[in-house]
Amino acid sequence: MATLTFPLSRIEGHAQVVIEVRNGEVASAHFQATEYRGFEYLVQGAPAEQMPVIVPRICGVCSTAHHVASVKTLEDIFEVTPPPVALEIRELLMLGQLIQNQATSLFIFTMPDRFGVASILDVEDSAPEGDATAGIAARALQVRQVGTHLITVAGGQFIHPVKAVVGGVTSGIVPEAAEKMRDELVRALPVACELFDTYWQASLEMGARLGTWGDDAPACYISAIGAEEPRYYGDKIRVLGCQGGDVCAVFPPGAYESHLTVEETEYSYAHRTSYMGNVIRANSLARVNIVERLGTPRAEVYLGAFREAFGQPAHAILLFDLARGIELVYAIERAITILENRLDDEETAVSYTPRDGEGYGLVEAPRGPLIHHYRVEQGKIARAEFIIPTVHNMMAIERALRVAAERYVNTDRVSLELERAVGRVVRAFDPCIACATH
Amino acid sequence: MKRFAVLQLSGCAGCEVSLINADEWVDQLELVYMPLVISAYDVPEVDVLLISGGVRTDEDLYKLRQAVKRAKQVVAVGTCAISGGVANLGDRDEVRALFLAGTQRHHVPRLLPKSHPVDTYVPIDLYLPGCPPTSELFMAVLQEDRDFQASKTVCQECGRKKLRDMRPEHLVGFQQGHVLPDICLINQGYLCVGSSTRGGCRAPCTRAGHPCVGCRGPSDVFIEQESEVWLKSIKRVFSSMTDVPEAEIDEALRSPQLALFLFQFSDYASGDRLVRPKDKVL
Repeated sequence: MATLTFPLSRIEGHAQVVIEVRNGEVASAHFQATEYRGFEYLVQGAPAEQMPVIVPRICGVCSTAHHVASVKTLEDIFEVTPPPVALEIRELLMLGQLIQNQATSLFIFTMPDRFGVASILDVEDSAPEGDATAGIAARALQVRQVGTHLITVAGGQFIHPVKAVVGGVTSGIVPEAAEKMRDELVRALPVACELFDTYWQASLEMGARLGTWGDDAPACYISAIGAEEPRYYGDKIRVLGCQGGDVCAVFPPGAYESHLTVEETEYSYAHRTSYMGNVIRANSLARVNIVERLGTPRAEVYLGAFREAFGQPAHAILLFDLARGIELVYAIERAITILENRLDDEETAVSYTPRDGEGYGLVEAPRGPLIHHYRVEQGKIARAEFIIPTVHNMMAIERALRVAAERYVNTDRVSLELERAVGRVVRAFDPCIACATH
Repeated sequence: MKRFAVLQLSGCAGCEVSLINADEWVDQLELVYMPLVISAYDVPEVDVLLISGGVRTDEDLYKLRQAVKRAKQVVAVGTCAISGGVANLGDRDEVRALFLAGTQRHHVPRLLPKSHPVDTYVPIDLYLPGCPPTSELFMAVLQEDRDFQASKTVCQECGRKKLRDMRPEHLVGFQQGHVLPDICLINQGYLCVGSSTRGGCRAPCTRAGHPCVGCRGPSDVFIEQESEVWLKSIKRVFSSMTDVPEAEIDEALRSPQLALFLFQFSDYASGDRLVRPKDKVL
């Protein structure tokens, strides 16, 4: 038996893929998360109201999602309803995160695969003069930076936001800052669309060259995005059934245990989940499959083209990447709209009385539904659970890895293409290992 | 062109994201190793090695020792690399018992008995604290920017007004609802430690209405001193500006998992903290 180990790069965190081959057959394909810090343990005893500052440190890429989920959990326990302006600012936070993340995944993590280079910094070196890839790194960084700036404007700090607190947000966004941010987004929108067009075209070419778009067997899809309009701030969790195109389960975060099976594995520091014994998928493709419409002009056009070309639900894994581009465009457009509103003209937070109890917080993070679950006793965290979106994708990643391995392994040899295929498969799911293990 | 690498140990990648935000380096320096951005297996010979994250697994330790051999200058970046940060909190004994009991796995890197900052194992030329450091701070290191100017403390960079006649009797924090703009957060009853925290971040958190949790660590005045000196200074600020009983401040400051503890004191827990000379800290 041969064991093939593939270290991974251009993903968030530390992980590797291990494929075992016996007599030319793929015996197993494992995705191993190889880091662990122990957040569920180390927050025990923390003053509950400190959680929104502590939990963003689970992950510097997904920090905003944890920040907002944490505040929502405490508000569930304390029974506090934040004012409308606070909800708008929190939505901006989630959109900033989405812009930053989807731009990073598209352009920094997966674009190099389309051009056969090691990093985005090398793309233009390999391109002819006047090609659509000229200045691509600078433009890609510009688009993702807009997301960071939006997080800073809405969240205070630039990586680990601080502005969302129990009861609301610490401050509004003054008109000058909102206007400046809006201008920046307006300038970034055509750049993002142009980059995405290049990306879409390069993906089609790559798919044709490889002769496959990867694992395209049906799966269940899970998301908290909502059924009609997108709600990244978090709606109920929906599961799209494996058998047909209908949503087969809708439940609040507190009921996740009766719908999802969470299990440990011996070979990874991350858990994995399934739905009624089925492989589930979260992240961009799940959202695009579940939500009815996006409702902003340019994103809606991309969504229409996507559905026409690939159907609904679409299953091939490289479509996760294209779905991310559609969301990038949506998030920029939606943020522009919200920033037209006054965001500093009323109280941004309400007062409250802390109390003990148990509660849940749900957001639709870039990688899927994120649930925080705390029990508070005497003002301190007695128990905390983080149900991480990447964990929902673990079985789907391994299934897709097996499909890829079977394509490139046969009795007399292992194709060198396997290593690149492993990278493409994992990156399509954009897993976050810091979150998955926490 | 100066060559640099980024080695990420056990952390959250926030430092890397902040570095990517500082896009000025793209044209000025050659990035040769950073797994988040580049597919490359080993750290090559470089002028500058930035290390983020704490040493949590045996793999972290191995990579750290291999990488520093190939670098002319080694920079510890961010709270986890410098003081253990959030991950180091798992090293309180009662947490450790739970932690180790729940983390037996095969075929993956072994967890070390204790998480350590990087200077426990290798010499460090420069420290860049912050959770994470701002893009401006990253550029100051990478460009060896001698013009970089910063105030000594976050307090001096904050710009909120201190009022003589607004003296809270208790720490109340966000329970009171709306945060007043422009007025010192201590006057409003928040446990803000900006008065002793190293400047250079430009105070984004306090400006946005959230108290400083001290992620940049101690200012020059305190960095070479015992933690007790530093705690006393914070208490002195509160006794001169508020009527909050000393015992209440003391309890809040020493609460072992208070967020500020993560940043300023997490490596004091073991009692074997190394002194970082102030001329090596940006």
